[in-house]
Amino acid sequence: MRGHEIRLEQVCVRFGAVTAVEPTDLTIEAGEFFSILGPSGCGKTTLLRVVSGFLSPSEGRVLIGGRDLTATGPAERPTAMIFQSLALFPQMTVWENVAFGLEARGVDKATRKRRAEELLALVALAEHAGKRPSELSGGQRQRVAIARALAVEPAVLLLDEPLSALDLKLRQHMRAELKAIQRRTGVTFIYITHDQGEALAMSDRIAVMSKGRIEQVATPDGLYATPATPFVATFVGEQNVAEGTIAAIDSGIATLDTPLGRLSGRLIGKAAAGARARLMVRPERLHHAAHVAPTPNTLSAAFARRDLEGPVEMLVFDLDGAQWSIHRQNHGETPRTGPVELAFATEDAMVFAEATP
Amino acid sequence: MSGPSDLVRIYGRAFAAACWLLVFGWFTLLVLVPQVTMVDQSLWRMEQPKDAAQLTLDIDRLYNDLSVMKLDRADAPADKQAALDARIAETQAAIREMETRETQPRKVYGPENYTRMSGLHAEIFLRTLAFAALTTLIALVVCYPIACAAAFAGKATTTAVILTALTIPYAINELLRTYAFLMVLDYRGVINTALSWIGIIDLDRDQAIPFLESQAAVFAGLVYAYVLFMVFPIYNALESLDKSQIEAARDLGASSLRTHWRVIIPHAKPGLAVGSIMVFMLSAGSYAVPRILSRGLGGDWFTQLIYRQFFDAHNWNIGSAYSVALLIACLVFVALVMKITRVGLKDMVR
Ligand SMILES: Nc1ncnc2c1ncn2[C@@H]1O[C@H](COP(=O)(O)OP(=O)(O)OP(=O)(O)O)[C@@H](O)[C@H]1O
Ligand SMILES: [Mg+2]
Repeated sequence: MRGHEIRLEQVCVRFGAVTAVEPTDLTIEAGEFFSILGPSGCGKTTLLRVVSGFLSPSEGRVLIGGRDLTATGPAERPTAMIFQSLALFPQMTVWENVAFGLEARGVDKATRKRRAEELLALVALAEHAGKRPSELSGGQRQRVAIARALAVEPAVLLLDEPLSALDLKLRQHMRAELKAIQRRTGVTFIYITHDQGEALAMSDRIAVMSKGRIEQVATPDGLYATPATPFVATFVGEQNVAEGTIAAIDSGIATLDTPLGRLSGRLIGKAAAGARARLMVRPERLHHAAHVAPTPNTLSAAFARRDLEGPVEMLVFDLDGAQWSIHRQNHGETPRTGPVELAFATEDAMVFAEATP
Repeated sequence: MSGPSDLVRIYGRAFAAACWLLVFGWFTLLVLVPQVTMVDQSLWRMEQPKDAAQLTLDIDRLYNDLSVMKLDRADAPADKQAALDARIAETQAAIREMETRETQPRKVYGPENYTRMSGLHAEIFLRTLAFAALTTLIALVVCYPIACAAAFAGKATTTAVILTALTIPYAINELLRTYAFLMVLDYRGVINTALSWIGIIDLDRDQAIPFLESQAAVFAGLVYAYVLFMVFPIYNALESLDKSQIEAARDLGASSLRTHWRVIIPHAKPGLAVGSIMVFMLSAGSYAVPRILSRGLGGDWFTQLIYRQFFDAHNWNIGSAYSVALLIACLVFVALVMKITRVGLKDMVR
């Protein structure tokens, strides 16, 4: 099995007056594990349905493996979909489910059964072949769905939030499993999720969507370290945010007047002095002033509470009308309440100017 | 499940008790009593006594004795007259008792009401069952696409329009509906008139198509009368199908036919079973539709036979037996459908 490249050219989807997907250009490379990340209702499923062929784009072209398949139905496309609900056939046994695509292609029963057994072995379900889907656990059902989709030897596998029904432990286990299956088969995966953890953990590249628009396409590291837009910056990971006006810009460093004081950070994009802007600092980049080299960015705060998350802890502070937090290794005790000085390095802060309307 | 039932937990003891009482009363009055009465009625008959001939001889003999005694009494001396009078009265009482026994039939229990069904009646019985089965099959074929159209319309308004259109005719009494259908199929009915307008037939030269002279009219009428009972169970079953299963089948390359056969129909099976059972029972038990539409030309429906046993022949025992036979046939059909579709009672109430 080999993956195919997917190219969307000016693809746009409208439902009546609603535009679900704005005109979009996107190239997904062959054999890539590509995630589409975005909040609910941003158009992820719609975009995936355009790739699968269940939905014709209002405008634009869909090219799979270099061929224009815009007008081709889902059965004829070299894609296979894994549905959010899995959509296993409850009246069929597990192996019949897996073999259904081959049955539709007129493959004889013996071959079908052998092939289904191979695929079930691939997803470690060989001994469950004769059961019904309802007799399996959530994770096992998930793997049946994967095996069923792989049975038709697709070049592209489309997954619509396939792990959302599973509990946390199983979800983490299945992430690794999915990634391994993708490596082994070389199939292009398009993986939809609104869970950034999933996207960051599994993907080669991620597209972040908001309101029908792709905001940024980047590797997980690139996305986290250098978000291109304030939406991406706040949607992926967490941010401490201060709003203010740009007082000065000097060689890529913007200085803001904010209610918390005068703060500076790297300016992302273009802006002029006097513009409204937001400064963002990731919680793991914020520290107690006493623990870091002196910086111009200091804040007076009062300790509010500590949220323990196992190996790490989140310290929440009250600032003048805002709450900021520090994300650090678990120190094993709650700090004393009272005023403290917080600080961050200028290169650890990002400044996004508000789009001029 | 242990502990108090949901009913008790939700409504409290008093209300739950009232509910159960109602259910019990309903079951007794509407299910148990009529059926038991009917079965009982079907199991006995009034019979002339078997020794009727012997009785007649005995009575004749007693009459002879009586005349002899009367003659004796006329000649007898006064002191013996009283004794003779007593004997005469005794004999007369015996004759009266034997005469009532001779003319009054006795109530006898036995299976004869069933086993003595004539060949003609048995034929009508079997034909009715076969026709009801055929009606069910036709209804199944007609209603499955309608139910699919309603369930998979995609737009809520389309579904609402289809289901409302199906329901509207049911606001009218079954009899009137059947007469309306009669008017459509009649010699100068809607269809024939329309055909003559187009010029296919000429009504004035007696070329009307005699729809009503064939059994097809009864089938069509029955399907028309009971579509709803087939469409709604199927629609309900289809409605609960996860539509992404259909998409998954399509995505895997299955043809529309295979998707129906392997995915949709297996899911709709309980609905198909319930619909078939209802239509079979209703058409096997239908009286008005075959009566009105065939007008005696298309041969009797078993229900017409039952009607005549009750109201023309006044033989309620045979009528009951025939009714019970029909009931049993329907129950056998239910069992058969459940066996074929491998649908249990619990699936049906799902
Ligand atoms: N068939 C449709 N008709 C009209 N509007 C639609 C249709 N399908 C989707 N939409 C609209 O398009 C937008 C995007 O929907 P989509 O299902 O792609 O979101 P999503 O990103 O997959 O969200 P979620 O994470 O909740 O699944 C939504 O605003 C939705 O209301
Ligand atoms: Mg979605």
